Amino acid sequence: MKALTAEGLSFGYGNELIFDGFSLTIESGEFLGIIGPNGSGKSTLLRLLSGTLKPLRGVVNVLGKEIDRLSRKEIAQTIALVPQESFFAFEWTVQEVVLMGRNPYLKLLERPRQEDLNKVAETMKLTGVEMLATKSINSISAGEKQRVLLARALAQEPQILLLDEATSHLDLAHQVALLQILKTLNEQGKTIVLVSHDLNEAALCSRLLLLAQGKPVACDIPAKVLTPDLIRAAYGLEPVVTKHPCTGKPQVLFPSI
Amino acid sequence: MSSKKRLSWSVIVLLLILSGVLSILTGPGGFSYRVLNQVLLFRLPRFLVGVVAGGVLAVVGGAFQGLLRNPLVDPWTLGVASGAALGAAFAIVTGTGSSVLLPVFAFSGAILAIALVYVLARGRGGLTVIRLVLAGVIVSFFFSSLVMLVMVIFHRSLGEAVYLMMGSLTVVFTRKSLGLFVISAILALAGCGWLMVHNRELDVISLSEETALSLGVDVQRLTRMVFLVGSIAVGLIVAWTGAISFVGLVVPHLVRMLFGPKHSQVLPGSFLLGAGVLLFADVLVRTLTPTGLPLSVVTALVGVPFFIYLLRTKV
Amino acid sequence: MMRSSSRAFWLIMLMVVNCGVHKERQIPEKRIKCVSLVPSVTEIIFAIGAEEMLVGTTNQCDFPPAAKEKTKVGDFQSPDIERIVSLKPDVVFATQPIHQRLIERLAEFKVQVYVSNPADIEGVFAEIESVGVILRRTKEAEMLVAALRRRLDSLPTFAYKPKVYVEISMAPLMSVGQGVFINDIIYRAGGQNIFQHLNIPYPVVDPEAVVQENPDVILLLHPLANKDELKKRVGWSNINAVLSGRIYTGLDEDLFFRPGPRVVDGVILLARILHPERFR
Repeated sequence: MKALTAEGLSFGYGNELIFDGFSLTIESGEFLGIIGPNGSGKSTLLRLLSGTLKPLRGVVNVLGKEIDRLSRKEIAQTIALVPQESFFAFEWTVQEVVLMGRNPYLKLLERPRQEDLNKVAETMKLTGVEMLATKSINSISAGEKQRVLLARALAQEPQILLLDEATSHLDLAHQVALLQILKTLNEQGKTIVLVSHDLNEAALCSRLLLLAQGKPVACDIPAKVLTPDLIRAAYGLEPVVTKHPCTGKPQVLFPSI
Repeated sequence: MSSKKRLSWSVIVLLLILSGVLSILTGPGGFSYRVLNQVLLFRLPRFLVGVVAGGVLAVVGGAFQGLLRNPLVDPWTLGVASGAALGAAFAIVTGTGSSVLLPVFAFSGAILAIALVYVLARGRGGLTVIRLVLAGVIVSFFFSSLVMLVMVIFHRSLGEAVYLMMGSLTVVFTRKSLGLFVISAILALAGCGWLMVHNRELDVISLSEETALSLGVDVQRLTRMVFLVGSIAVGLIVAWTGAISFVGLVVPHLVRMLFGPKHSQVLPGSFLLGAGVLLFADVLVRTLTPTGLPLSVVTALVGVPFFIYLLRTKV
Repeated sequence: MMRSSSRAFWLIMLMVVNCGVHKERQIPEKRIKCVSLVPSVTEIIFAIGAEEMLVGTTNQCDFPPAAKEKTKVGDFQSPDIERIVSLKPDVVFATQPIHQRLIERLAEFKVQVYVSNPADIEGVFAEIESVGVILRRTKEAEMLVAALRRRLDSLPTFAYKPKVYVEISMAPLMSVGQGVFINDIIYRAGGQNIFQHLNIPYPVVDPEAVVQENPDVILLLHPLANKDELKKRVGWSNINAVLSGRIYTGLDEDLFFRPGPRVVDGVILLARILHPERFR
């Protein structure tokens, strides 16, 4: 079954179109990476796929159903979006933030039930933030915040997880830990779409989509996408591509400076 | 509930009771059994106005702060008060006002302002928070200028309009207008109830528009409804009392400092604390200051230092 | 006895006027031109027959009707200084504190200003005479004051002074306190303003205070005035004025708020209202 499809999407801010007739199919259980230079539309595409942006033309389907026909709660129970950063105008505690991830399952007057609290504890443990539960969200580090946001997204029990540069604020250890979590989730059957600016991180995906100015330059396994030619065409740089000594996955090294 | 919270609730309730009692005990007639009957006819309605006005303004202020994701917002940000002032000014200069018609005109002015803000704020992609705030500012400016224009055209200094924009709990009621006020109060309280029922969605929408969408909130609908329900509730109050400053801004923050930002506690807490604070300020104005000092001056004198504190610590 | 003290008062006022008007420059014998920014002074000017000297008035100068025909220099609140100066007046009649800024600016233009600010009816009489001196109509001014005084003196003395509540706004409830001209009118008409102890000219009052004072007569001087509505105000039904129905609306406010020749009309009108039994 196809997790997400985009058919003929057109979208732009103001008068210019970023996407014009863009189409993409994401299979269930895929681990798709989206890469490309700044301004190529990576974040925008993620939002079009999650339904937080509406395209001017075209259709997005979630698990076979048109996203427009689903209620926001139904969408939220299926897709979760982890944004790059988040600003909190008020002093929420970490636990309160993660608990909001249960909103799609609660009716208007319903208060959080034991199962909600359990789920929250579980996801906080998974992303390693359970010790921060009573701390204010504005008092923790950027990396810790990122893991809290991931915990919140997981509390939505989504089948599809979309991440927008989720590791950009994380130190090496936490970056690795997060990617490990994603790998595990993917093995458990979750579809993951990861927007990344780190090409080596993207190499871990099962498939890579290389975007340039809203157009798909390539969509294939990492080995076929992370090639000097394609990288040169998209980024205008001349990197060196080797193989990871242990995993055999492509590694992109800095061009000689 | 933690002991700190329990204590906070107790303090708030105590303040309300104390202010209420003081409000009923103070007045030119003193308080003796002989004049009890007479004075209650004035003091009970004022007490009622104070509770409803303080409560509604604080609740809507808190809800708007969540909706607009900004701690520096109050019920007047979105243009309601200026509309009411224009409606009242119109009633006064055309001489068509009466105890009943004056608040009706004021409320109509408020509705006009609300409608105008709503229409202006809708753009491609629907209602956004930034557009609401900008529209509110523009409409406020516009209607305030119209009030001045009315003053000039009709050659009246309209001291009343100035006071109307500064607020008072002392409303001169006839039986008819008192009945009308009770209806307004019930409607405004119903609006507050609606806001309190939607406390969790307000929590979520206060994070960001995109996050709220992805967490299953119908952002467009909620924004529209919170704006309309809140503004109409405020309009129902300002038509009687004029614009009372700072209660809607400061009280929700005090409550957040005591209970945290969850609307399930902020909104009810704001209602009780807002009522208590406003009644207390009114007692101060009536007993300590020379006659005629508008209520908003006292609330502002207390509110401005607090506002500065907020600016320095929260922004 | 009133005569000699009023004479002394007049002399003092004359000195004050001479100080107010620029000392070195006596107004030359040629035809005097003046601008009046104060509706009450406009009335005085017409009453002493000096209206052809009046080259400019405000939009609010509407009595007598002929005053409306005069060239307008703007609103009473904010007259246009350029228009005033362009008319080249020998003297401008203004008032404080509203025209304070304007007075200072006119001084820069070297225009003479007479500041009108009578605090009570005696002050109005003195002002009529001062204006008469400035516009060289002293005889007419004296005669006018004498006539006004006669009418005022014709009023009997009143032993019983009913309590009066004057309402100038309903929302919020505003009355008149100390330092407002109407207090003297009420006094002369044989009444007492229930709020004259408040030292603010236009205080916002608690309706409970009105009921506590229990006025005998109520004057409604604002556009929302409605006698029937007032009777229905919650808690007001036992006030003397309400019980006896002595609530008066539709009065010409200018008789009470303009310190001009018609103040005596105001006093007599109010006296008739307060003491109907003395005027059968």
